[in-house]
Amino acid sequence: MITFKMNNLDVTAEDGWTILDTARFFGLEIPTLCYNEGLTPWGGCRLCLVEIGEAPKTKLVTACTYPAQEGLVVHTDTKRVIKTRRMMIELMLSTAPMSKEIQDLASKFGVTQQRFEPRNEECVYCGLCIRMCDEQMDARAIGFQNRGFKRKIGTPFNIQSEECRLCGACMYICPACSARCGGPNADTDICNACLTMEPTCLDEYDELQCWMYDAGRCGTCVQEKGK
Amino acid sequence: MTGKKRTPKVKQKKLKIQDLAKIRDKARAIMTIRDGEGRGRVTVHMGTCGIAAGAREIMDALLDQLSKSRVKDMIVTTSGCAGFCRREPMATVELKGQPPVKYIDLTPAKIRKIVEKHVLGGHIVAEFALAIGSETIY
Amino acid sequence: MKKYRTHLLVCAGTGCVSCNSFKIKEALEQEVQKRNLQNEVLVIATGCNGFCERGPILLVQPEGIFYQQLKVEDVPRLVEEHLLKGRPVKKLMYIPPSEKEPIPKMKDIEFFKHQRLIVLRNRGRIDPEKVEEYIAFDGYEAMAKALTKMTPEEIISEISASGLRGRGGAGFPTGKKWDVCRKEKKTPKYLICNGDEGDPGAFMDRSLLEADPHAVLEGMVIGAKAIGAEKGFIYIRHEYPLALQRMEIAILQAKEYGLLGKNILDTGFNFDIEVVQGAGAFVSGEETALIASVEGRIATPRQRPPYPAQKGYMGMPTVINNVETWGTVPNIIRRGAAWFAGLGTETSKGTKIFSLVGKINNTGLVEVPMGITLRDIVYGIGGGIPDGRKFKAVQIGGPSGGCLPSSKLDLPIDYESLTAAGSMMGSGGMIVMDEKTCMVDIAKYFLNFLRDESCGKCVSCREGTQRMWEIVKRITEGKGKQSDLALLEELATATMDASMCGLGQTAANPVLSTLRYFKREFEIHIKEKRCPAGVCLALIQYEVIPDRCTGCLACKTSCPQDAIRGTLKDVHLIDQEKCIKCGACYEACKFEAIETERDPAIRIVERAR
Repeated sequence: MITFKMNNLDVTAEDGWTILDTARFFGLEIPTLCYNEGLTPWGGCRLCLVEIGEAPKTKLVTACTYPAQEGLVVHTDTKRVIKTRRMMIELMLSTAPMSKEIQDLASKFGVTQQRFEPRNEECVYCGLCIRMCDEQMDARAIGFQNRGFKRKIGTPFNIQSEECRLCGACMYICPACSARCGGPNADTDICNACLTMEPTCLDEYDELQCWMYDAGRCGTCVQEKGK
Repeated sequence: MTGKKRTPKVKQKKLKIQDLAKIRDKARAIMTIRDGEGRGRVTVHMGTCGIAAGAREIMDALLDQLSKSRVKDMIVTTSGCAGFCRREPMATVELKGQPPVKYIDLTPAKIRKIVEKHVLGGHIVAEFALAIGSETIY
Repeated sequence: MKKYRTHLLVCAGTGCVSCNSFKIKEALEQEVQKRNLQNEVLVIATGCNGFCERGPILLVQPEGIFYQQLKVEDVPRLVEEHLLKGRPVKKLMYIPPSEKEPIPKMKDIEFFKHQRLIVLRNRGRIDPEKVEEYIAFDGYEAMAKALTKMTPEEIISEISASGLRGRGGAGFPTGKKWDVCRKEKKTPKYLICNGDEGDPGAFMDRSLLEADPHAVLEGMVIGAKAIGAEKGFIYIRHEYPLALQRMEIAILQAKEYGLLGKNILDTGFNFDIEVVQGAGAFVSGEETALIASVEGRIATPRQRPPYPAQKGYMGMPTVINNVETWGTVPNIIRRGAAWFAGLGTETSKGTKIFSLVGKINNTGLVEVPMGITLRDIVYGIGGGIPDGRKFKAVQIGGPSGGCLPSSKLDLPIDYESLTAAGSMMGSGGMIVMDEKTCMVDIAKYFLNFLRDESCGKCVSCREGTQRMWEIVKRITEGKGKQSDLALLEELATATMDASMCGLGQTAANPVLSTLRYFKREFEIHIKEKRCPAGVCLALIQYEVIPDRCTGCLACKTSCPQDAIRGTLKDVHLIDQEKCIKCGACYEACKFEAIETERDPAIRIVERAR
């Protein structure tokens, strides 16, 4: 049993758990994209970032891959985390603006601007399809090709794979193509059909201390203050 | 690129620690030249005048005598004309911590004697010497 | 070994080899033979001498005479004059720029005078393909001591006391890393030498591997004894064929002599080393990516902890250190931790090798004690900026490092002070820049490198470097927006914070450091659409200076686009619509009279708007 602190709460984890496993067990919400319970964690989307350590030596790590350690100090929603998380969503949005899942994430986490040239690709290289094909379907028909900005996902030599059983698991699990957004309002790049609300308590505190886990979206605390 | 493929012709004996020290001492004595250091230096003056007067034979004799006497820590070098062309072949012997000595009118026999008496024995051979003093070696 | 009176040490590091130094060696051997000097004069090919600006290089010992910029045609005269007649050849010696008299001896030349050679102590003086020569200069003595007179704990305590920090870039205390690994109970344990050296402009590790491979081997055996490993890997990037070859030869020789392999020096200690070739990725220099590559998988970094010292190669405890670190170890064991700790600063002990390149007179490899100022390196050892230009900035630490301006020239070089100034020690690459370098262009160059080399796993690094490059590129094309600088900083900070490995975490440095010290230059590019240094193609144009033009038609003939109008004896005119700014006209005008340079009649100006 490993004991450490998360958002100033004492939490305990089993041996081999990650920060994300512990958070989920205790009901603390940490957003993810490339994480799936049935697959090995990848740590590529960088959405599940949390801030560990004590000031001034803190750093951001992905909760899905970082192992729980005795005495660790973790904060899930500090200013630095939220700012960085938003940038990750903004980057993914500019790559694949038509993905409903990413659009929803944008709304939920207050991404209100799109400052990069949209590329209208279908893929954010989260690797879920590859891991699904490898670990759950045991086919290993697809994989990453090239590195860096030239990265692609495909079959070896881009020819029809004999290993692929056409099961459709890759399409099922893909966050970008599993559901298509209805289409943004013509004037904006970001769908504004969903409501976007700025977490309000960040003006007062350096981190979200909302025990309702609503990330300040209900606006109650603002009404309380203004009372 | 050198691209030489090395295949050992004779099976090299594997070293023990004492062997390491022996190789080092043997090789070191020969390699000190790479640092430009040594117990001393013999300079054979080989300007055109020197060579015409037979400095090459002096050099050969010098190297031969040093080798015969197993002297390994002396630096042998050449220099240009020393200026005193009438008395060529000439050589300067400079042992560390001692002033350099200029020898003149050399013959192979004389240089061999100088090796034995001066280089090995530390005694200047006065009858062959011209002067004792400093001179820049370039 | 025969005794010779003169040793001719020919530099055969890759730099000089590419300038024909092997042919020069052959020519020397032939000429020596021809003159019947083969029993007196020995010709040896050594590793890199360090003064790469002046290659091909020849050092004549024992006089210590330094010859430079040799050609095969120079050899006969050199042998006749220097070796036969004893008259060193002045014309082939080094003359400092803006001076007239040559400096004959290597130890008097500024470039060499201020260096303190510890790791590179054997450079230019031994044949790296002969293990006896390495032994001659106390080689393998430290290993013998470690294997017979020291316990693993004592070795580690000695390394810790010396204050040695990893020379690969991060500067992690080496003794601590070894101690963590030693305490791990799982076996077998492994040792890895990181010879991937991907930084553009860096060649420290290559030099050491080519000049003194046995130093690395000796260090690794000592490390193996310290942590309890029986197998090691040396990972050398594929782009270093000479280093790979020399290392293979060194390992073969060491094994023949019983200095590696089973029962080393008859002490019962076993340690074997295998050479692994890299596959062309900068990211495989990152330690977890390197381990993946050695295991045969794609070089992608993974989350740490667990660190390689706990779980590395095949999940086993592994110590992975840089080539230079391994090369320093035998010196510490042989001469003692106190001696090493006496050099350098409070937090950064010992010496460091830097590759001094760029706009500098004395390009080459230098080893200096930590704490030396940048000014001493650039102006003392480096000899200042060529062509009378002014110093503008120095990039330290490769693409992960940052640019430091002239206000930082008196900064002492150590890990902490460089990081505080916004740069990084990195592997030790130093690229000097003058007033004709555009800092925005430099940021673009490094971002281009990083976006190409990113492994692609993290959104922050893959997309971040790409988007930063796009923004900076637009700025160099005169399409920058006012909001771009704030966006760049925000994006750079996010990339730095969110990325998993060192590549992404430091990818922001080229941008952040140039923004910190050269913001004005960025603003000029954006607001005024000008490039003050005259580099960004979209913002400059070539034009003819009417008073200087002699109407010689040289530029017109050289233009691939046929963009120059003019007739003989008439002032020429460059058609800006057709011009692609290749610079051919500029070169043709400058060298119009064959082999003599003249003041060109063409200049680069900022583009008329």
